[in-house]
Amino acid sequence: MSVEGEQSGSGDGDRVLVAEFALGLLDASEHEQVGRRIVVEPTLGRELTMWRLRLSALDREFVEVPAPAGVLGRVEARLFPPSAATTPAGFWNSLRLWRGLAAAGLALAVIAFGVNLAPRAPLTGPELVAALEAEGSNVKLIAFYDQTAGTIRIAALSGDAVPNKDFELWAIEGKNAPISMGVISVNAKANVNMPATVKQGFGAGTVLAVTLEQKGGSPTGAPQGPIVAAGAATAI
Amino acid sequence: MSQSTADIADLIARTALRDRAAFRDLYQRTSAKLFGVTLRILRDRAEAEEALQEVYVKIWQRADRYAVGGYSPISWLVAVARNHALDTLRARRPVAEDIDVAMEVADIAPDPEEAAVGSGERARIDACLAELEGDKAEAVRGAYLDGFSYDELAARHNVPLNTMRTWLRRSLLKLRECLTA
Repeated sequence: MSVEGEQSGSGDGDRVLVAEFALGLLDASEHEQVGRRIVVEPTLGRELTMWRLRLSALDREFVEVPAPAGVLGRVEARLFPPSAATTPAGFWNSLRLWRGLAAAGLALAVIAFGVNLAPRAPLTGPELVAALEAEGSNVKLIAFYDQTAGTIRIAALSGDAVPNKDFELWAIEGKNAPISMGVISVNAKANVNMPATVKQGFGAGTVLAVTLEQKGGSPTGAPQGPIVAAGAATAI
Repeated sequence: MSQSTADIADLIARTALRDRAAFRDLYQRTSAKLFGVTLRILRDRAEAEEALQEVYVKIWQRADRYAVGGYSPISWLVAVARNHALDTLRARRPVAEDIDVAMEVADIAPDPEEAAVGSGERARIDACLAELEGDKAEAVRGAYLDGFSYDELAARHNVPLNTMRTWLRRSLLKLRECLTA
């Protein structure tokens, strides 16, 4: 679409585009393009604010119509679920699955490790560690975020390999979906490289979790098996 | 600021502080207005109801951004409802590529000059629209209040699409000149 040519200059062309954007006259792809420009071009941003505020004087012409019953209830049900979990519900539900498995007699042998976190190069930011465990599971690990190397060092405190299964490590940031950090061994120390997507948002409060998955890890990119250990990163 | 305007501003502020009772109160006080918006633009009761639900979810999530844009409180709420309804309309219309129809541009704080424009002066839009020819003022109102596209406006005013575009673009520049004079 070209407004330029019909108008006296590109200044007018842009002014018209922003007015059309404010009115909602642009089709979806134009709307998106102009929206992107407005975000980065302050002149266009000011222009949009002007239109939005001036046009809003027309709002009084919208006539009130009583809202149908039940809308507020549905809004509240969505915003305030009875047990507001801070992590994806489906993910944590698998904890129950794990307990079921544990009750069925899948017992993991305990192997104790000495964890040496002592000699370290000084870091600029706070140091982050996480203790990973879960009720009903013997798998216990300590994770240490090595900021310099961009890795997570894992030391298993207890737990044992399960035949034909692998343990997979996940990072969960806020309400985002878990991001896989690959298959880990629970009876050896390991350095796990952090994917850029994890490194970016990693900080105190990021949850690390280990699930029991089929050999090679979850084929879908989302956890499928039970959680055997989980814990939030904490600054020390 | 009238009493009810101040009350609604206060309810939005308390909603931003995650006060559920204030949010419920805000819904009771404003849902009829916002349902009026979604119904007028979407012209379908079921869709307008669905949209209203989404709109209040957004209001809860974004109440903390209210002060930024310089809107009156009810106009901020109307803008959330209107933008959501327009996104729904755009998504309905055929598009060539896979794009994000719900792309939103956040409110930007008005500069001091714009912020100093009183509500009385803002009402100048009526006077400025009156300066346009009747048909053209109607087209601007139809776009803002009814969410009409260029196609719909051309059909309603019985002119070819390109004529409507040219008309309206010229009118918008005239309108701008009057509004910012």
